[in-house]
Amino acid sequence: MKQRQPISKSPLFSTLAMTLIMSLLLSSCGSSESNVESGNRTGTLHWGNGTEPQSLDPHIATGVPEHHVITSLMEGLVRKDSKTLAPKPGVAESWTVSEDGRVYTFKLRENARWSNGDVHNAHDFAWSWWRALQPALGNLYAYMYFPIANAQKYYQGEITDFNEVGVKALDDLTLQVTLANPTPYFLQLLDHYSMFPVHQATVEKFGRADERGTRWTYEGNLVANGAFKLQSWEINRAIVVVRNTFYHSNDSVKLNSIVFYPTENVTTEERMFRAGQLHYTNDVPIDKVATYRADNNKALKVTPYLGTYFYRINVNVPHLQDKQVRRALGMTIDREQLTEHVLKAGQIPAYAMTPPNTRGYYPPVGLSFNPEAARKLLADAGYPNGEGFPSTEILYNTNEGHRKVAVAIQQMWREHLNIDVKLLNQEWKVYLDSESNGDYQISRAGWIGDYVDPNNFLDMFICNGGNNRTGWCNEEYDRLVLEVAPRAKTHEERLAIFGQAEQMLMDDLPVLPIYTYTSKHLVNPAVKNLVDNILDQPSYTEIYLQGESN
Amino acid sequence: MSNNETSIVLEKGISLWEDAWIKLRKNRMALIGLGLLVFLCVVSLLTPWIAPYGYEEQNLLLGATPPSAAHLLGTDIFGRDMLTRIMWGGRVSLMVGFIATAVALAIGVIYGAVAGFVGGRVDMVMMRLVDILYALPFMIFIILLMVVFGRNLLLLFFAIGAVEWLTMARIVRGQVMSLRKQEFVEAAHSLGLSQWIIIRRHIIPNTLGPVIVYTTLTIPSVMLLEAFLSFLGLGIQPPQSSWGLLINYGVETMEEYPWLLIFPGIALSLTLFALNFLGDGLRDALDPRTSKD
Repeated sequence: MKQRQPISKSPLFSTLAMTLIMSLLLSSCGSSESNVESGNRTGTLHWGNGTEPQSLDPHIATGVPEHHVITSLMEGLVRKDSKTLAPKPGVAESWTVSEDGRVYTFKLRENARWSNGDVHNAHDFAWSWWRALQPALGNLYAYMYFPIANAQKYYQGEITDFNEVGVKALDDLTLQVTLANPTPYFLQLLDHYSMFPVHQATVEKFGRADERGTRWTYEGNLVANGAFKLQSWEINRAIVVVRNTFYHSNDSVKLNSIVFYPTENVTTEERMFRAGQLHYTNDVPIDKVATYRADNNKALKVTPYLGTYFYRINVNVPHLQDKQVRRALGMTIDREQLTEHVLKAGQIPAYAMTPPNTRGYYPPVGLSFNPEAARKLLADAGYPNGEGFPSTEILYNTNEGHRKVAVAIQQMWREHLNIDVKLLNQEWKVYLDSESNGDYQISRAGWIGDYVDPNNFLDMFICNGGNNRTGWCNEEYDRLVLEVAPRAKTHEERLAIFGQAEQMLMDDLPVLPIYTYTSKHLVNPAVKNLVDNILDQPSYTEIYLQGESN
Repeated sequence: MSNNETSIVLEKGISLWEDAWIKLRKNRMALIGLGLLVFLCVVSLLTPWIAPYGYEEQNLLLGATPPSAAHLLGTDIFGRDMLTRIMWGGRVSLMVGFIATAVALAIGVIYGAVAGFVGGRVDMVMMRLVDILYALPFMIFIILLMVVFGRNLLLLFFAIGAVEWLTMARIVRGQVMSLRKQEFVEAAHSLGLSQWIIIRRHIIPNTLGPVIVYTTLTIPSVMLLEAFLSFLGLGIQPPQSSWGLLINYGVETMEEYPWLLIFPGIALSLTLFALNFLGDGLRDALDPRTSKD
């Protein structure tokens, strides 16, 4: 899942907004019953979602907060078991894989329905995937489809007939997908929202199929196939989803509704949690983790998270073109101190892009903390003792946590390399723009796994990849990741190829890995069956609420 | 009507400012305020030489510690000395407070006095302009200024001053309008005094009271505005800091590390108290209506 969302944009504003929300909620309750108490009674989960989603269109959204809302509303062919992350039936009740691992045949459920009662069949998938590959739609996740035969060529306009792409509805309930190469993680991709189906009649009612930002995802319009349906969407207030009675497994769903709050300010979110306004927080303030731990508070849940916090370096900036400079910068970040004394929630120092043990993959050690060698590299690059080093800026999206990391790193570079680095914060959407336009020098970034495979962390750095954004381009790297790795005969061989590619990435260092994430949440004890997994993807169909009183 | 002779002596011998100074000296709270302000300004000026540590010097191993002998006001989460940071923050805060307020004062008083004194159509046009500027969301206005002119600390001060003068202009204009029609001004007119002398001698001294009070209110609001802008990435950037920012960060961890909030809070409130007492004293001292009794 892409860009880690901004947790707090402007604390002053959002504090005000949250206070308003809280007072509104309090006054609307009338009695002294809190959100959590009333939620436990009515089966309503109050969920801190971090921020307002950019869009609920699964073929446009790219963030984690969007993921939460969309997975409550929609479902793909396959779902993931919330504990083991193994594939389990979604809209497809079963599937078969050909012997060469290239042809998947999905059998859809007969009782699959859209939330308005319309029949939901294989043609919906063929149409939705056609839509997702329309270049005009600007789907940043289009590359998720590239394992499918000819999908990349179709997307890039080399072929124009969608019939040549390996997706075919054999009959109403059978979908056949042909891949270009056997792709071990293909079933996992199907649970990603970029491959979710959309309701053709609704999309076309509000605009062209490949038109961005039409009103089809709005309150009252959205028709989807998930366990819940959209009841209301008040911008910067709350998104409410309620039980979808047409859902194929409606009987097993226990929650009646979920309320998603755009809790942008972590501090406010934590207070809302304590005031009984939330069952679940998106994050925990850095300095609160220790307090909760000291109190042995059971609400605090800290778990490993398949994501890497890193800095992008714009390799088109003259003085950052020199890889010795980038290496010197990378070698003077004291990641141990940072994770241990600033972040303090069990984050793991990262010396490579892919988190360790991603499907058995351990990345090569690409970096170490070595100020002396770094000073020498910087001198070799023409800046002895940092003299004459041009003015450099670290860009980050406005957020407490990112600021803390940047302040610490700024000082490490000043201390070890004697260079002055400025900090620049921008609001989330402005920051995303600056980053994708290459209008930055060094920029903080986070990448959270969409699926468990090293490919997810490495294929973003192919030349001109939508999420590369550093300007770095290495044809040999592209060849390894895109051509050699998919043809590997065994799992071990494949991992070895990825290791080779990652070594190249770490030699050139267009990115400075900093740490491997942990996910931090506060969870009310009434929330049951919320299973931890390294993708931090909750399963709303399984969660239920059980207050202590009843 | 008292003895004519002594009053002539008084008028000749003591200017408005001397008179004010004499009266101010009798006001103890105002003097304390003045002393405190002078002290803070001197400390701010000397900070680069007297600060115990560097404001950016980190000690991650140390982390946030409560006040101790080595760090009199404790350290923040990066192990930076709070006393040092408050001293450096004071430089920024006092500077923004004084410069931005001076800008607002200069524009506001001149603009308001002209509008009020000239009156008529000129006044109408000038005040409608103020109304229009009032209607502009000031945040957007400052952000636009920053976008056009870039991020520069001094410019930030002027930008804040440039949006804070509106109320000042209205206050001064209202005062001037009411004064223009007063008997003592008409008397001055009939005695043949020039317009400039009337403004200088009668109008401005009479507007000083409200202007000073409003100034003492502007300085703190400007300091807080700066903190807010810095938070949005438009003001000063780490590792530099200001009181407003220190307080802002302190609030987030007030339960864990209360000293991060308390000490900058004390520094800011002391300044505001000092300003208020001094402002009060100055208003009394400068009010011409209390001078002849």
